[in-house]
Amino acid sequence: MSGAWVTFQKELLSYCTSPVSWFIGFVFYLWRGLQMYGTAWSFALYRGDQDLFAPSTYGLQSTFLMVMLVPGVLTMRCFAEERRTGSIETLMTAPVRDGEVVFGKWAAATAFFGLLWLPSVLVLQVLELPWFFDADLAFGPVFAAYLGMFLLSGLMLAFGCFASSLTDNVLLAAVLAMLFNFGLLSVPGQLRFYLGEHAENYYVRELLDKFDVMRNFGDWFARGLIDSSQVAFYAGGILFFLGLTTVSLSSRRIA
Amino acid sequence: MIRVRELSKRFGQTLAVDRISFEVARGEIVGFLGPNGAGKTTTIRVLTGYHAASSGTAEVAGHDVATASLAARRQLGYLPENVPIYPDLRVVEYLRYRAALKGVPWRERKAAVARAMAKAGVEDVARKLCGQVSRGYRQRVGLADALVANPPILILDEPTSGLDPNQRRRIKQVVRDLAAEHTVLFSSHILTEVEDVSSRILVIHRGRLRADGAPRALVAESAARRLRVAAACSVARLVEFVAATPGLEVVRSAPQPPDGASVEAAVAAGEGAARALGERLLAAGIAVRELAVELPTLEEYFHRITEGSDRQEELAHGAAEANA
Repeated sequence: MSGAWVTFQKELLSYCTSPVSWFIGFVFYLWRGLQMYGTAWSFALYRGDQDLFAPSTYGLQSTFLMVMLVPGVLTMRCFAEERRTGSIETLMTAPVRDGEVVFGKWAAATAFFGLLWLPSVLVLQVLELPWFFDADLAFGPVFAAYLGMFLLSGLMLAFGCFASSLTDNVLLAAVLAMLFNFGLLSVPGQLRFYLGEHAENYYVRELLDKFDVMRNFGDWFARGLIDSSQVAFYAGGILFFLGLTTVSLSSRRIA
Repeated sequence: MIRVRELSKRFGQTLAVDRISFEVARGEIVGFLGPNGAGKTTTIRVLTGYHAASSGTAEVAGHDVATASLAARRQLGYLPENVPIYPDLRVVEYLRYRAALKGVPWRERKAAVARAMAKAGVEDVARKLCGQVSRGYRQRVGLADALVANPPILILDEPTSGLDPNQRRRIKQVVRDLAAEHTVLFSSHILTEVEDVSSRILVIHRGRLRADGAPRALVAESAARRLRVAAACSVARLVEFVAATPGLEVVRSAPQPPDGASVEAAVAAGEGAARALGERLLAAGIAVRELAVELPTLEEYFHRITEGSDRQEELAHGAAEANA
């Protein structure tokens, strides 16, 4: 796995030194800060259930857009840029497995996405300050929500890597990833609505239940519940798309 | 070190490489020649494991590039035609990254990078961003990348492409210096530099291998030698002597004022035609002013076996269509 580790280090360094990454972080926290401020005051005014404060913050628009848009922006350059500049040739002819390169790039994107989320933990800490809100936030829901967010973004970043491996156009790769993310977040709920009673068919219901990320997120992770089938769903999805990315890259070696 | 057997590569309907076979022995510098689009880069990409062959086999240091691709790639240093380097990394950072990717152990990495930079002559731009170095340095950074893991085999695809004469000379010298420690396959369509650097050349055209041998030997064996003779006699008489000499075929003749003539003739493969003509002219009491056999240059040879074969193929194609 040394090839994956080397790729991970190089990619993470690229993310950390890219102005685009810092711009994303700046806009996200500016917007999120304003929304959190408003949400926190409303909780204070109405003496809201403080245990539900943390999960409710994940329903903010900033979270939705962060999850829908940013993974595509982070992964759009992964392979599309390498194809465009031709550096894919030196990368793929180095003595390293295609799968290691794919995993290293995905892990770096996921780690950087995690880094972007990390300061939001500090916001929760601030809310607990006695001279501020003196909130008593439950650790369980916060941890589970962050784990859920990590798994969901991991899945979206894995698809982003796959989209990036299909083209040498970085914008197209970003748009493909955003469409997938939008579809993942909204299509199962919409389908349930349009199918009406047909959605009650056992197989359709099971399928929609599995893929309805938004509902599952609210039902499980946001309530502090970690369901192994949910973890397996995301882990399987991540492996599936990383595998597809590897196949996509290796396809040039098919005679 | 490199063994290619009946290698073909097809992209859809296009046959880019057509059943080529060759070998490169340890310590050789072999020039891989061909016009643009001849199949050089495709062959090289198969050797480096970037593309798979459609049929045939290729081995690098005894490892099949299809079935033992990783092992084969560990033996290779590769410089692609358009050296793609990450513009946001410093040269030394880029080379450290490449060394790590190629599995150079952490403790040896610093020394390996320093050695590769010294060999390629990029120490003075080590702290510069890759995106800010000139094209010549870019090529040399690519060369340092190919050298950083100290592989026994180097494959350099058009290493002097787009460089000015001074940069070209520098790269050629570097490649020559590498011969002591590495086996080099060096592709180019610039004939003089291949002639300068390589001990052997392979000529590929339209995906087929047209020639394989030492540059001088190939040119010498060529049937395209020309004989020039000038003598103090009439044009008709000189033409008669040349035409009557076995192995010579008159190409053109001209009077040579005030009282002589000159004839240019194609010399068929084989020795002795020029000597026989000279002896016959002397025996007839004709003063010979010039008698020389001119070998074609590598450029003429290359032109003949590529353009010439094109014409033959076109003629054959035309004949086939006419028959149909």
